[in-house]
This record gives sequence, structure tokens and C-alpha cells, in this order.
Amino acid sequence: MAQSDTDVDHTAHGQSMGLLRVLGPAHVWALGVGIVLVGEYMGWNFAVGKGGAYAALIACWFAGILYSCVAMIDSEVTSTVAAAGGQYTQAKHIIGPLMAFNVGLYLVFAYTMLEAGNAITLGFLVDTVAGMTGHEGGLDQRPFIVLAIMFLAWLNYRGVLATLTFNLVITAIAFCAIITIFLATSPLLGAGEMLHKDLMSGQASLPYGWLGILAAMHFGLWYYLGIEGTTQAAEEVRSPARSLPFGTLAGIMTLLIAATLTWYICSGLMPWEYLGDGVNGAVAPLFSAAQISGSSALVWLLGIGTLFATLASANGCINDASRAWFSMGRDHYLPAWFGAVHPVYRTPYRAIIFLVPIALIFALGAPLDQVITFSILSGLLGYTFMPINMIMFRKKWPLDTIKRGYEHPLHPLPAISLMALCSVTYFAVFLGYGTQLIAMIGFYIVVSLWFHFWRYRFVKRADQFTMPWPRPRGY
Amino acid sequence: MARYIPPVQSKLGQIIDVIVLVVLSVGALFLPLWLGLAGSAKLPVPVENPTWESLGQNPVMVQQWNKLGFPDAASAHDMITARYDYSFSWVSLAVMVIVIVGYFVMMIRFSDIEYREVIAEKFGEK
Amino acid sequence: MDTWNYIEYGAWALSALFGLLIVIDWIKIDTTYTEEMLTSSREGVLEAMTEKHKLEGGDGTI
Repeated sequence: MAQSDTDVDHTAHGQSMGLLRVLGPAHVWALGVGIVLVGEYMGWNFAVGKGGAYAALIACWFAGILYSCVAMIDSEVTSTVAAAGGQYTQAKHIIGPLMAFNVGLYLVFAYTMLEAGNAITLGFLVDTVAGMTGHEGGLDQRPFIVLAIMFLAWLNYRGVLATLTFNLVITAIAFCAIITIFLATSPLLGAGEMLHKDLMSGQASLPYGWLGILAAMHFGLWYYLGIEGTTQAAEEVRSPARSLPFGTLAGIMTLLIAATLTWYICSGLMPWEYLGDGVNGAVAPLFSAAQISGSSALVWLLGIGTLFATLASANGCINDASRAWFSMGRDHYLPAWFGAVHPVYRTPYRAIIFLVPIALIFALGAPLDQVITFSILSGLLGYTFMPINMIMFRKKWPLDTIKRGYEHPLHPLPAISLMALCSVTYFAVFLGYGTQLIAMIGFYIVVSLWFHFWRYRFVKRADQFTMPWPRPRGY
Repeated sequence: MARYIPPVQSKLGQIIDVIVLVVLSVGALFLPLWLGLAGSAKLPVPVENPTWESLGQNPVMVQQWNKLGFPDAASAHDMITARYDYSFSWVSLAVMVIVIVGYFVMMIRFSDIEYREVIAEKFGEK
Repeated sequence: MDTWNYIEYGAWALSALFGLLIVIDWIKIDTTYTEEMLTSSREGVLEAMTEKHKLEGGDGTI
């Protein structure tokens, strides 16, 4: 770690102190996949509960299309707008300050809620392990929830290179665990214990009919939510124009494989009613699948996989949420105090510290599916912003005006598909979680008014536009 | 165009702004919970004297339920019969569409006003 | 009391330790350096340099 602190010192050029450029494409992959992979270990199975196993598979693939669009769009914009803050900075340059403020909050909310969800799952896992080893009377899960958040905050505080190298290792292990249980239970190599045909027959095929497929899109996002976080590393990657598109697109491919395998394993072993109940039933479905398989080696492997996946995700979330919060502080969208960089570790340390108690409030005080729904909703609002962003980007700066590190094909098809899929997902959330949807939008409307009429007065106007671009067309 | 010089915010003002944001965000999550409005209610539909057959479970499903630690139909009854209620009114759907679209329209409008100011100051008036 | 109860206490203690480490360092840094220096990071400064390197080195890497 010591070497990362003094490795490349950009401040030698001037008196300003910034983040360090130390990351490579593998770290970008680890940040993206690390945040998301936990989605295969917990949470996605609520989609089974909302529509049955077939619906969850269809949702998995449609959400896969949605995220491929997200990854393509994001890669193009971010290969050009390479700054910490990711989509926040994109919105600031392309749409305008209020949009940027909202996008910044989407990011912080989506990641902080996801972090809380991870900590809750970790607490549950420790409790289960304690039960399996013969502990009576249940365990107090709170110390483990607090410890996970504190440890990862400390790691993030100490420097980005060590943080993401740690993520790379534990994410790779968690991914290998999914491959291993697939090989061990599928007819390819193992005993072939898959029972899809019988478990998905009769009433279990589509318990809610076609409406269930729509409803399942809600939690279908969970298979991939967070992959867009790769852009947050833009200020810390050695060559963002190349590493970010590469890491992001490799990440989405990894996730498409992992998501499909996970669905195949779990739906072939558990009745959908159990699998779909993520609160009293399969809280950690892959772990439950290992328990059913009866192999204690698999139980250990998937237990460790679940543990690592939750840690990797929470770790990446702290990294991303604090970058977004820091960038908003730096532009005075939030109190300037948050825009500080640690002079030794080169991390946005005050943003990291501030978000610790926030994450704790949600991790200790709210049920898992509510926390996940809030995270998904914030993510969804962010995905709705992306097609608007892309269309405006190509309009204000056509391809020949600025050089892009990556140009996505078939514009505006991805933007339009993304918008359509977002609309479907809003409807899916509306089915069953309409109150939260309205509460959430109500919150964003109130803070938008607060920002426009009060907070924006503390922001310097022209200084926000930092990219070396020509004047946008039409302005 | 004259350069806009923002006022310097006092320490107290900064703290108040942060408190406002935290209260709003915590409120947005916990208000539906406290008011008991949080949807997601998946309610069991009771079946008298449940048997595996009356719950629609075939032998393979029963075998997997047993492996999961549910020895008889009664123990799995609540989980098997729980269903979401997807009935909705078109009025509430319309309200949701208006709220979401209205939110985005408002945001893009205000953003554009602010954006024109930024561009004018950065690149000069046209 | 079994091992797991001790592990619970251990987890509380470690949480407190990490929290303490962060807070101590935070206070140390905030009292050692000036506020101007700590908040001197500017968006785009690094980009301006990357651009420069692009012109010099040709491939955009630093």
C-alpha cells in the first residue's frame, strides 16, 4: 500500500491535490463486476417471487439487453468525459446542473442502499453459519453488519489501489464459485441433479401469467445493477479512454454468463415459491442450492463466495458513492467541505466518512427488499437519464466535433431500446411497490426545487464546464 | 456577460444544508414504512387442511421441499400460497405516469435554464 | 456463552477499532493541513494533462 501512496505524484506539477491515476483495466472490471456479482448471490430471486421461474429468466435476458445498452452508451460518453463522478459529470456537461445534481444523488442513493443490502446479507450469512455449527438461540447480526461497513470504509479511506486490488481477488473467487457449482450440479460433469422439468410444470410455470413477466423486470435489474459504476473510476484509471470501455464491456459479458448460470442452478433445485421468497425462504439462493446438493465442500465454497460477493459489492459501493459525493462537493453542489482529498492516501476521505453513518442507518433499520427497491429505483432513474443524455450528446457534439475513445454502433437504437425497457421497468415496480416509487420521486422533486431555488447560488457558473470541448451546437 | 460570483457559505449554513438533505432522504425511505404504506405485501391465501396435492405440488417438488427442511405441507403452506396482488386502478397508473414524466420535464427545463447560463459565461455571448 | 458470543464481542471491538483509526487520522489531517490545500482538487486538471501527454506521446497514456 505504501508504494501506491507515493507512486505517481501528479501534484509535482502544481499545488493542486487530486486523486491518483493508478488503476488498470482489470481494476475497472473488478469494480464493475464486484459491485454487481452479489446480485447473483442474493436479491435476483425476488424476480422469481414476482412472476415465477420462467418470468425470472425472461427478465434476466431483457435486463441483459437493457444493461448492454447502458454499457455501450456509458462507454462512449465516459471515454470522452473522464472524471470522478461518472454520470454526474456527464450530466453536468451535457444536460445541465439540476440534472447533474439529481444524477449525483441517484448514484449516491443506489450505491449506499446497495451497500446496506450487502451488509444485511452478510449478517444473515454469519447467522446461518453460526446455526450450522451448532450455535443455539440465534446470533446478534448487528456487530457483523457494522464491522463489514467499518472495515471497508477504512480500506477505502486508505487508498484506491489496495481497495480495488482486494476487490479483484475476491470477485474472481466469487465468480469461480458460481462456475464450480454449475459444473458440479449440471449433467455436463456432475451428477445431473437438475429438476427443471418437474419444478416448473403445472401451476409453477407462469403463476401470475404474462403480467408476472412484466412484474419480474423489477428485480431483473438486480442481476446487473451497478455495472455503470465503472465510470466513477475515471479519474483514477491510467488511460481512461481505453480502460473504461474495455473493463465495462468485459464486465457486462461476465455478468450475462453468471446471471444465466445462476438462474439455471437455482431454478433447477428449488420450488419457485421457496426460491422467490428472499426474506423467509432463499435469502442467499446459491448458498441454499449448495445446501440442497448435500456436498459440504460446495456449501463451504458457496458460503465463502456469498461472503466475498457481499464484501466486494459493498466495497465497490463505498468507492463509487464517495466519488460521486466528493465530485458534488468539489463543484459546491454540496457543501465544499466534502470536496477534500486526503493528502497522503489521495482519497475523498470526508465523503467516505460521511456516508458511513448513512449506510448504517439503512443497514440496521430497514428490511432487505425495501432497501433493494430503493437502490433499484435510484438506478432506474439513472438509466432513464442515459438515453436522454446520449441523444443530447450526439446532437450537441456530433461525431466529427470531438474525438471519442469509443463510439457505440447503431445510434440511436440503443438509446431508444433503453428508454423502452426503462418504461417497462417502471410499470414492473408499480406492480407491488407503487408507494415506494411515488415516495422516491416525491423526494427527488423536493430536492430538485431545493437545489434550483436555494443551493445553486453557491455554484460557480462557467467553472463547472471543465472539458476541453468546443461550444455545443444550438447554444 | 458578467461573471457570476457566488456568495461564500458559512460553516453553519453548510451544516444545515447537509442536515436538510439527510432528513429528506431518510424520510423518503422510512415514511412509507412508518405509515404502513410499503407495498410488497405478499399475503398467504389460506387453504384448509393443506396436503401437498391440494397445494399443487408434484412428488419432485415435495422431495425438494423436504430437503429444504419442510417435512409436511402445513409447514410450507404460508410460503406456497403467498401471492402478490397485481390488481391496480388505471387512475393510479395515470398518476404515476404523470408524476414521472412531470418530474423529468421539470428537471430538464430547469437544467436548460441553468445550462444556458453556464455556456454563455464559458464561451461568451453569441 | 459459546465461541460465537465471543466472536460477537470481537466484531464489536474490531468495528470500534476501525472507526477509531479513521477518526484519529481524520482529526490529524484536518489539523495539520490548511482547508485550501485539502480542497484544492479541481475537475479536469488531470484531463488537461492527459491531453498534453497525448500531444507529446501520441497514445494518451501517462
